[in-house]
Amino acid sequence: MSDADLEQAPPPLPPGEVPSPSQQLTSRFGGLSGVVAPIITTVIAFIMGGLVVLFTGKNPLKVYHAVFNGTGINWFFHVGNHHARVPFSTHKMWFPWDTASIAAGNLQQTLLLTTPIILTGLALAFAFRCGLFNIGGQGQYTAGTIFAVWLGTSFVHLNPFLHVMLCLIAGTLAGAVWAGIAGILKATVGAHEVISTIMLNWIAYWVGSYLFGEGGPLQGSQPSIPISNDIAEGAKLPVFWGIALLQGLSVGIFIAIGMLVVYWLIINRTTLGFEVRAVGFNPEAARYGGVSVARNYFLAMAISGSFAGLAGALDITGWEYRIGENDIQASSIGFIGLAAALLGRNTALGAGVASLLFGALINGTSGRQLDPSIFRPDLAGNLTTIIQGLVILFVGLNLGGIGLWLKKRRKPA
Amino acid sequence: MTAIAARVGGIRWTDAKTIGIAGIAIGAIAFWLALPPLASRTAVLPILLGILAIAAGIWTWSREQHRIGGGAVAAGVLGIIFGVLATRSSEAHLDTVVVWSALLAATLRYATPLTFAAIGGLFCERSGVINVALEGMLLTGAFFGIWGAIWAHGWAPGWEWVIGLITASLAGMAMAAVHAFWAIHLKVDQIISGTAINFLALGITGYIFIDKYGDSGTPGNVADYGIPDVHLHFLNNWYFVGPILGQLNLMIWLSFVLLIATYIFVFRTPYGLRLRSVGEHPRAADTVGISVYKIRYMAVIGSGAIAAMGGAYLSLGFVHSFNENMTSGTGFIGLAALVFGKWRPFPTWCATLLFGFSSALSDRLPNAYGNQWGTLFNALPYVLTIVAVAGVIGRSIGPAAAGRPYEKQ
Amino acid sequence: MADAPLLELRAITKRFPGVLANDDVNFDLRRGEVHALLGENGAGKSTLMNILYGLYTPDSGEILLDGKHIDLGSTKAAIEHGIGMVHQHFMLIPVMTVAENIVLATEPRHMGVLLDYDAARKRVRELSERYGLAVDPDSRIDRITVGQQQRVEILKALYRGAEILILDEPTAVLTPQEAQELFEIIRSLKSQGKSIIFISHKLNEVLDIADRITTLRRGVVVDTIPAEGATEESLARMMVGREVLLRVDKHASTPGAPLLQVEDLSVIDDRGLEAVRDVSFEVRGGEIVGLAGVDANGQSELIDAIAGLRNPAAGRVVVDGHDLTHANAKEALEAGVGHIPEDRHRRGLILPFSLTENIALHGYRTPPNSRNGFLNLGTMLSRARRLLKEFDVRGGQPSTPAGALSGGNQQKVVLAREIDGDPKVLIAAQPTRGLDVGAIEFVHRRLVEQRDAGRAVFLVSLELEEVLSLSDRILVIYEGRIVGEFPPTATEEELGFAMTGGKRGEEAAA
Repeated sequence: MSDADLEQAPPPLPPGEVPSPSQQLTSRFGGLSGVVAPIITTVIAFIMGGLVVLFTGKNPLKVYHAVFNGTGINWFFHVGNHHARVPFSTHKMWFPWDTASIAAGNLQQTLLLTTPIILTGLALAFAFRCGLFNIGGQGQYTAGTIFAVWLGTSFVHLNPFLHVMLCLIAGTLAGAVWAGIAGILKATVGAHEVISTIMLNWIAYWVGSYLFGEGGPLQGSQPSIPISNDIAEGAKLPVFWGIALLQGLSVGIFIAIGMLVVYWLIINRTTLGFEVRAVGFNPEAARYGGVSVARNYFLAMAISGSFAGLAGALDITGWEYRIGENDIQASSIGFIGLAAALLGRNTALGAGVASLLFGALINGTSGRQLDPSIFRPDLAGNLTTIIQGLVILFVGLNLGGIGLWLKKRRKPA
Repeated sequence: MTAIAARVGGIRWTDAKTIGIAGIAIGAIAFWLALPPLASRTAVLPILLGILAIAAGIWTWSREQHRIGGGAVAAGVLGIIFGVLATRSSEAHLDTVVVWSALLAATLRYATPLTFAAIGGLFCERSGVINVALEGMLLTGAFFGIWGAIWAHGWAPGWEWVIGLITASLAGMAMAAVHAFWAIHLKVDQIISGTAINFLALGITGYIFIDKYGDSGTPGNVADYGIPDVHLHFLNNWYFVGPILGQLNLMIWLSFVLLIATYIFVFRTPYGLRLRSVGEHPRAADTVGISVYKIRYMAVIGSGAIAAMGGAYLSLGFVHSFNENMTSGTGFIGLAALVFGKWRPFPTWCATLLFGFSSALSDRLPNAYGNQWGTLFNALPYVLTIVAVAGVIGRSIGPAAAGRPYEKQ
Repeated sequence: MADAPLLELRAITKRFPGVLANDDVNFDLRRGEVHALLGENGAGKSTLMNILYGLYTPDSGEILLDGKHIDLGSTKAAIEHGIGMVHQHFMLIPVMTVAENIVLATEPRHMGVLLDYDAARKRVRELSERYGLAVDPDSRIDRITVGQQQRVEILKALYRGAEILILDEPTAVLTPQEAQELFEIIRSLKSQGKSIIFISHKLNEVLDIADRITTLRRGVVVDTIPAEGATEESLARMMVGREVLLRVDKHASTPGAPLLQVEDLSVIDDRGLEAVRDVSFEVRGGEIVGLAGVDANGQSELIDAIAGLRNPAAGRVVVDGHDLTHANAKEALEAGVGHIPEDRHRRGLILPFSLTENIALHGYRTPPNSRNGFLNLGTMLSRARRLLKEFDVRGGQPSTPAGALSGGNQQKVVLAREIDGDPKVLIAAQPTRGLDVGAIEFVHRRLVEQRDAGRAVFLVSLELEEVLSLSDRILVIYEGRIVGEFPPTATEEELGFAMTGGKRGEEAAA
């Protein structure tokens, strides 16, 4: 390389030229260095969350310990000589962990919650890869639940396999359509997806409240209770660990893990993923390369929404079986997916691990798991939101950028 | 010659844009005719007018004016739907819902938090920093406003709401300062940091709310020392105007003052010129010695204070209580209004009125149609926002440097 | 010396990561002179001037004004010391008026807080009359010509009381005619006692306008000489360090069938204006047709329309018999249009993508790069390996992100991809912009090879020298119209005349 050539090598950030937000979004989360930063982020977020607890007069260590015990992760620490039933059979075999302990039940809960977070996380991650900020995962999730409940409570005599597949596919498509609205608007008239998906969230919220509310068309047979009927037995996913009545773990978790693989395949091994990433990094260069930017915006949103819609359908068919007005209004799974996607740097493996973290956190702080004498669960729920916010705040940081900034500060100008 | 003839009156009547805008107006009229006081009972009229609007829209679309054309088509379709629905409802129902003076007063009440949010956003975005954290700033203001007033109730009788406004703005500024530092110095994607602020605001306000007011919620007597209404007794007997303006909250009047002050500041003072220059071309501003960072910090933090005031109005001047996530998307609708109004104060205000009107309408509809339908009508402002974002805003062009962190040389 | 320098830069050194931009540079400016700073792209001229304008802080060295040491920590300080700068890329806010741009940051006020627009207008008028810089204070910047914008930039500096004016490559964006007007302005400013630093790499201009000339090469001052007695040859030697030989070895062309035909093409630009009007021409296989013109005369829109990136308003584009008038980029690519875009960062490359992915950017859809929607990474990789070797791309593996390469090597990647796509028509837009001499020669050689391989090459360049040395036929575009066709033997003067609309006047008269 000649000297002149060296001079023209683009510096990491040419003065005044900062990469566009979508470039930042996509490039920062794609690198290999992406393991240390998320861990630091998580630690910072938990420490700061602990400070909040401390300032309100509680002992954060005790709180976190109680939360941790509720997650069921400690199940793995108690290795012993046990026997477990082989799923879907009556046979028993030797197993190092006690599958019927309390911790096992807690772990089932954590994994049940992890399932939809993986999928809403993938929803967000897929959109991010195309340079889109789909903050409407919640609305798409709700759309999925609505269709799963509607079809699950209809066609009672359908073949069970067909019935459950019907619910899952309908939920997936509902999510795709709901996100596709924002995708079409982005692709055709350039309406910003952040505003349109937030609005779609609220529309889904009220439509759901209407459908399952008192007097609503999908309200169950008890007139004064704003809850749907239970879906038919045939529309329920098989439970392979624990007892269905006590919200055992359904095979939904495997579908979610399967979707992680599907996501990885689409992004890294298909022409569709190639186009989506090209548009995400540089739409103008993608257009020049013959990629239809508008088509990819729409497709990325629809695929993104289908992950979220599937999440809703899995929750219904996997353990909720019914839905009420309150459930629709209180749910925030779609937003947790946002934090999971960002923490997982939009990679399949990262999103999976981050989802487990948030699934555990939410389960550990839930009213069912957390001892109110140590910490109020509704306080803990807000603590989870704060930790999510902190994760999103810190995970976007370019650690190198901070170092540079501190260096500049130390050196008096 | 025809071109000249067509331009009579200074307006190009055959211009695709004019036709399209006329189409939007006709679509609105289709609905309006079916409402009191005219309350046309035949469905034919709204359908005819709606079709006319759609035709105008299609014609405009074919003349490459896609946005306005689409708007006219949407207006026509909505005009037909709502017009026919209105003619199918009983007149008594319509009269319960459409009491224009009460509806307009309610419009102003619902529009005010939007106005504060949007004006806050205006300062922020005019300086080149995107603010999707308006929602969180509003919520922060709502909580810390009422918290400050309750706190002051013991020791500053009569001044509670003033203290409340102060604590609200301080809290809003603190939130905004985080957004500013992240966006300006750390150069993090502004939508990401804004979203993080929204989560933090939700979590922090919810946490302290539960911790402090726990099971019983905010005290019921807040209404006694909330932000006062302004009674204009001399207006009482005025037809139509009296019921609208006679008894409005102080913050509504303040929002009018804020609008005018914002206009003057942004477009008539040197500081406004510098603010806009930083948002359009920060390097140009830098080369003439303007501190880009300083102006951006002031604009973002100021936007936090203004948006928080809107939140304080919501909790302390409107509903007199606080609930978790009580702003429910208001900040985002305010942001949409800002884009809709092309980052200018008065057009933005008109957009907030439009969204406020839909909220007022959805608020009154259950009176006539029962709670179940009322639940569904709650979605109306959000639907309208989407239609607006899609149909008319589209690629509305904002400050050129918005969203781009500035790197000093 | 009788003339004590007004401004003196002593032993300035500035280092960027990996680059020594200024190495012990000494420079002085006398009152009322035009001192030219000459050097190639990347020689360190802009760095030096940015130091003088307070945008960069030097690592060592000092600046003296009237013999006294001054500190220039910020642009504000520079302005206060009477230093004004007209940047190569104008520092103007497009949506604001001329007056608003000029008074920004030192606004006249009314009642202490309001901006006094009347006073602002008055001051602008006064200044423009005094220095002969005609502009309308109420026009919006994005509605006036580039030449007028430059005047606004000069007025901006004068409004701030500049005694020293730095003009950074001021003629790069101007037509030769506008450049002459600028020189008149410079002479008038000089006669009123202003001192001017004139940065350029164009030898004839420097000889025309400067009193003294300082040449920079790779961050080091070669010499400072009086303009009187200097010749283009002597300056060129100083600037480049050897004789400049921008000649391309090529034999006569043997044009075949027309591969690109453009008929009565009209294209609307982003602002809704007709940027290309009624353009017709053809490019045959085996010839290079050059399009010469001043920047922003419709070249970009014309290229976009041919490459399927912009839908023309009227006319036809035919490539090898296929009508591509309303084709999209994908269809244009498939029909055999290769396109080296003018901005490789914006369009040519996806900087975070690996070289493999960038090379696959046009072929990923079709076998062997992909089958049934699944990418064939092995094929993509081996193709990338082959091309990187064939085109001598240095500094990167197939897995290296494109953003990590130097400009010349990035351009080689683009070139490799476009040529390997086996195009019938190759559009080369500003193919050597920002490249060093070695890379330029490489690109030129490859383009001639493509011609000799029977492809139709359409070269669009702002560098007249490049167009003249490469083309077999030259078209000149002015305000969206093709205003003339010339043989490669034409002189720069003839082309320059046509590029400013000269030919059109003749035609109208004829």
